[in-house]
Amino acid sequence: MTSDAALDPYTPGISRRGLLRWGALGGGSLALGGPLAACAGPTGLPGPGTLTLGLTRSLVSLDNKLNQFDAAVTVQRAVRQALTTLGPGLKPRLVLADRFEMTEPTAWTVRLRKGVRYADGSPVTVEDVDTALRMYGKVNGSFLLGLFPELPEVEKTADARTFRLRTERPVPILDRLMANIHITPADANKPEELQSGLGSGPYRVARANSGAGEYTLARNPRYWGPKPPLETVRVRYVPEESSRVVALRSGELDVVDTLSPDAAEQLTGLPGVSLERGDGVRVCQLFYNFRKPKNHPLSDPRVRQALAYAIDGEALLRDVLADSASPLRGVVPTNLDGAVETGSFTHDPARARALLRRHGADNLRLTFMWESGEFAGDASVMEAVADMLGDVGVRVTLKQFQPGGDILKWRQGRGGDWDVIGNGFPSPTGLALTCLQGMYAGTAEKERTREAFMGYVFPKIADGIEEASVEVDDAERQRKLAAVQKAIWDTWPALWGFVPKTLLARRGRVRDVGLLPTNSYDLTAVHLEG
Amino acid sequence: MPTYLLRRLGQSVLTVFLTLTAVFLLVRLAPGDPAAAYAAPTASAEELVRIRGQFGLDRPLLVQYGIYLRDLVSGDLGTSYSFHSPAFDVVMDRLPYTITLAVSAIAVTVLVAVPLGVWMARRADTRRELGANILTITGQSMPDFWTGVMLLTGFAVVIPVLPASGFTSWGGLVLPTITVAILQFALVSRLVRREMTTALAAPYTTVARSRGVAERALVWRYALGNSAVPLVTAVGTRFAALLNGVVVVEVVFAWPGVGSLVVRALETRDYPLIQATVLITASLAILVQLLVDLLYPLLDPRVRLGKAA
Repeated sequence: MTSDAALDPYTPGISRRGLLRWGALGGGSLALGGPLAACAGPTGLPGPGTLTLGLTRSLVSLDNKLNQFDAAVTVQRAVRQALTTLGPGLKPRLVLADRFEMTEPTAWTVRLRKGVRYADGSPVTVEDVDTALRMYGKVNGSFLLGLFPELPEVEKTADARTFRLRTERPVPILDRLMANIHITPADANKPEELQSGLGSGPYRVARANSGAGEYTLARNPRYWGPKPPLETVRVRYVPEESSRVVALRSGELDVVDTLSPDAAEQLTGLPGVSLERGDGVRVCQLFYNFRKPKNHPLSDPRVRQALAYAIDGEALLRDVLADSASPLRGVVPTNLDGAVETGSFTHDPARARALLRRHGADNLRLTFMWESGEFAGDASVMEAVADMLGDVGVRVTLKQFQPGGDILKWRQGRGGDWDVIGNGFPSPTGLALTCLQGMYAGTAEKERTREAFMGYVFPKIADGIEEASVEVDDAERQRKLAAVQKAIWDTWPALWGFVPKTLLARRGRVRDVGLLPTNSYDLTAVHLEG
Repeated sequence: MPTYLLRRLGQSVLTVFLTLTAVFLLVRLAPGDPAAAYAAPTASAEELVRIRGQFGLDRPLLVQYGIYLRDLVSGDLGTSYSFHSPAFDVVMDRLPYTITLAVSAIAVTVLVAVPLGVWMARRADTRRELGANILTITGQSMPDFWTGVMLLTGFAVVIPVLPASGFTSWGGLVLPTITVAILQFALVSRLVRREMTTALAAPYTTVARSRGVAERALVWRYALGNSAVPLVTAVGTRFAALLNGVVVVEVVFAWPGVGSLVVRALETRDYPLIQATVLITASLAILVQLLVDLLYPLLDPRVRLGKAA
């Protein structure tokens, strides 16, 4: 049978234009259809038992080998746990271990808590601790690793739950240091930041999009401890502060942390929003460059002291930092365990001018540098300080670096000459000792590879810190630490310093956040009302 | 036609290759050290050397480039330094969000700006047209950051009817879409207005009108049909640009698109991630342009692809 159409010479077949049309449509559908089909749909609105956190930085992993910023710790610890943790007052508290004590100067005896298990029900073992320590030890560029004078070795004992952590030299702060080593099943642990895997914490990962920094944590039904009050915790990355503030005000976010003074001011007094603040453990200093030639005025501690008199710290804290920081009264934050007050910065410009003249440094020209975002209001602080120094005849050139730039090279004295750097240094262990070791324990040997912090090399001070670090007697260690801090203060390492407060805003329905000085908190304590 | 298509595909591959080469070189010439950005601030020089070795940055530039091309051919775009995951996966985590926003913003732009342009053409040189012009240009002149924050404050805080950030519900798409679309309205509506004014004054329109063609058909089929080529070109170009991300809007609305990802990658000197983002978004943008070109003969029968006029 033949159709009429087929016989009709005027009925178009597949025309060139038709082919083109269908080809273009097909191509277009292929090009856009695929991605559109994969388009992320909405992630869903939070339920009444859901706490939503808005983080300032993207949480790329729930492992802390490399990615360890304050708020990240809060979330990471809800999934993966350590043998210990830092609790209120920055005191160590047992978590996976029910015993953690120094039984020899170079050995700590640890016993795993009975019944501790991962989210899949498998038990936490000594092998997991051993593997975790080795994996952390193999990671390049880790900040945590720098806190350990040496990584302990695991020595097994006859009891399957008990082991010893052995070091070559005494490490009397090991219970605090181990709070940073998160335990993962040995066969799943790798010397890199883990993107997936199990933890023993009260929450397990229900959904994760590490690229977008979004996670949904659900209550771990096999959690070995008390059932956590929250059903779900949602973690979102909201980089822009004004957006975080709006999202908190609208109730979309429940908790936002690491607020700037401006944001805190906007949120103060708003109905349904509460602020929590406390002293932090990060010290921010305008640190001198200690790599200056001996005949340079800044190599003279009297000149460094004279310059410090030019700075009106109170005005900076009040007017520039809007009371979001406390004055620095030592060489490390004084709320750290082992920290002591060593003095304070006094504003006396007349004295600054006179002393500078007396020491032949009345016509100084200095270069200040810092990286954007090193601390809240960094540029304003630096400009104000430059202005104050101008009042005593010191001319300052400001040099600001963008994140990712070459600042490390400059810090290490490889980028060029500078005089003062705006720098923040954290102490996630809650100890003065680790802060002192990181900043003031420079030696000539370290300086050869430019590892001494800003070139700060004072052999007596380095020796004093070293002695304190291996002192197993608590009282004696505190005494040694106090003496060394006083000695550091007398070297006038910084032009000025302050301790930023931890600042967190929460919706009224969120209770018992218990913000720690480390700017993190225990999610198992948090509960929602209403 | 197949020859034309092949030639255009060849050109596209060459464009992507040249773009990648330029990006590969430029990011390495820019100040900054990925090892320093990756490591703790207290990292020793030795440690930095080890990290550079781990990333393969201790090899000569030409060797690095060769390895990059070899891996690229085998589909490996490298591992992101900051995400510790394959760079391709990280970009693909974010790309759907960017495409969602781009598609919805372009759809809103076309739905609003085309009728508006037609309306303006039919009322050319009247006060009402002037008013519409002022409105669209005001929208275009407002910084997107400001527009976004104002919309947020208005519709997420003062009248809390829409979500403030992210993509937690379909409502979350509304404010970012409007913010992006507002910037496009002036461009597209003015272009439509110009083309339509010319078309409506053309002899064929007069002839059609004299033959009794209805005004509606005259405007929407005859005149708009003849204005379609420049309109599709402009919309296609804007769409391709949006695929590269709208950084400011993404930041304001915490929209996890590729724009903010590439900013972060630049800050952390995450070379594999920068390169992967550029490769994927550039390929998509070029593909869109190619599709636009293929649409021309459909819109205007006088166009013959691959043949000189």
